[in-house]
Amino acid sequence: MFKELKFLLAIWKTNLLSVMEYRVSFLTQAIGMMANDFMYFVIWIIFFDRFKDVRGWGIQDMYITYGVLASSFGLVSLLFGNAFNLSDIIARGRLDYYLSLPRPVLLHTVSSRMIASGMGDFTYGFVSYAISGQFTWDGLLRFVLATLLAAAVFAAFLILMQSLAFWFGMMSNFSALALNAILTFGIYPITLFDNYAKLILFTIIPAALVGAVPAEFITRFTWQTLAELLLGATIFLGLAVTVFRLGLKRYESGSAIQVEV
Amino acid sequence: MNSIRKYWSIFQITLINSLAYPGELIGRSLMIVPFMWVFYQLWKITFAASGTEVIGGLTLRDTLWYLMLAETIELGRPPLARTISENVKDGSIAYILNKPYDFMLYQFSTTMGETIFRTLMNALFGGIVVWWLVGAPNQPAGLIVALPAILGAWTLHFCVMAMIGLSAFTFEDVSAFMWIYQKFAFLLGGLLIPLDFYPQWIQSIAKSLPFSSMIYGPARLFVTPSLEIFVNVMAYQIVWIAVLGVLLTLAYRRGIAQLTVNGG
Repeated sequence: MFKELKFLLAIWKTNLLSVMEYRVSFLTQAIGMMANDFMYFVIWIIFFDRFKDVRGWGIQDMYITYGVLASSFGLVSLLFGNAFNLSDIIARGRLDYYLSLPRPVLLHTVSSRMIASGMGDFTYGFVSYAISGQFTWDGLLRFVLATLLAAAVFAAFLILMQSLAFWFGMMSNFSALALNAILTFGIYPITLFDNYAKLILFTIIPAALVGAVPAEFITRFTWQTLAELLLGATIFLGLAVTVFRLGLKRYESGSAIQVEV
Repeated sequence: MNSIRKYWSIFQITLINSLAYPGELIGRSLMIVPFMWVFYQLWKITFAASGTEVIGGLTLRDTLWYLMLAETIELGRPPLARTISENVKDGSIAYILNKPYDFMLYQFSTTMGETIFRTLMNALFGGIVVWWLVGAPNQPAGLIVALPAILGAWTLHFCVMAMIGLSAFTFEDVSAFMWIYQKFAFLLGGLLIPLDFYPQWIQSIAKSLPFSSMIYGPARLFVTPSLEIFVNVMAYQIVWIAVLGVLLTLAYRRGIAQLTVNGG
């Protein structure tokens, strides 16, 4: 366990040095993404200014939901960037490289890329929480914990969806659809949805576990929300690893052992 | 005449190419389904909470059909800026530039070819969902009236995206410009909320900028077609196409003057 953590830290350090090689590009992407997030949120400010609330869900809830969603998404982009294009790696036979090395294949694959714009998302999430009007220091600690757990669900969901490429080949469109669905349903107020829809948002598309539930946990600590988050992260991570391992047994080499740059 | 035939052929080839992978075309177009379903939930509750059937001149049904066309226009657009910036960065622009066609007209022809079926499929899936949720559009003929405005919106979008792509001559990465432009189009173009629901002062600013001609104009024309709106939308589009067309030409000439290709 400790050995793998050391390995992860080393790979993240290398990734960071790699993206920092193009500093202007890194800064442009990080700042650009923060501006992008802010401009998207302005639409919600306009909406709630006009319509006040959606079944009790107001602009303050939106600040926190949007914040934790942005930070967790950014964290996955920074630390596990290849989770976004795992299906492509599988379908093109590019797993060969990772299979040939004595490290856990899934961990090594997904952590081998850092998406620079993730820094913008990650940072913006904290800014969003800070200006939500509900900032407290213990709330900040809960924000950090909720971000970590939501990121675990995010990463697991991406791995799960993209691992279907072991069975169905190229899945880039389906993966994009799944990513869009979790982001869309995660950002919108959960009060919009009836019980059947909520069941879907906790299971098939776990948008509630990356948006509404972490936001509720940040606003007000309860053991129930913490348990929901922990259970959700554990189950989805377990599922993701199991499906990836099952799929790996079906993997056909692309004879593509090459240097990954 | 020969020149037009050349670009028409490029357009046709790209159009046929876009049908080569029907599974991918359908898969990509399905993205509109969750969007429309969420919009329905949001606006159904919002209209009910407002205690009125009409907001900003639009009913719930108008709003949903407006959003369907707005999303169709947005999701149907190919990532032109990324294509041009890749051409510039990897040097493949050198191979395109020495061909017997104008680079910008070539890009325009291919972009249009890629856009047609993407848009049609999005309109089909989005239309089915919205029809099922709120019924047929109030004035189906509005779609025919809106067609010239949709074409104008594509042209305007092409001008901006091409300029962003050409900025790769100066900047290493154009992603940030793309995101910011996209969000301006979302916010001031009325993609997620019709501009009529905005405060009056933001409406006035938004309607005088090109973003509203790219999304709001055609979508509003579709749901409430009238001669007045048609003339207004087309006039704005013509002015902005002229302005952005000139700017694009200047940006292209400047970029080409700076171009240095090493190796080959």
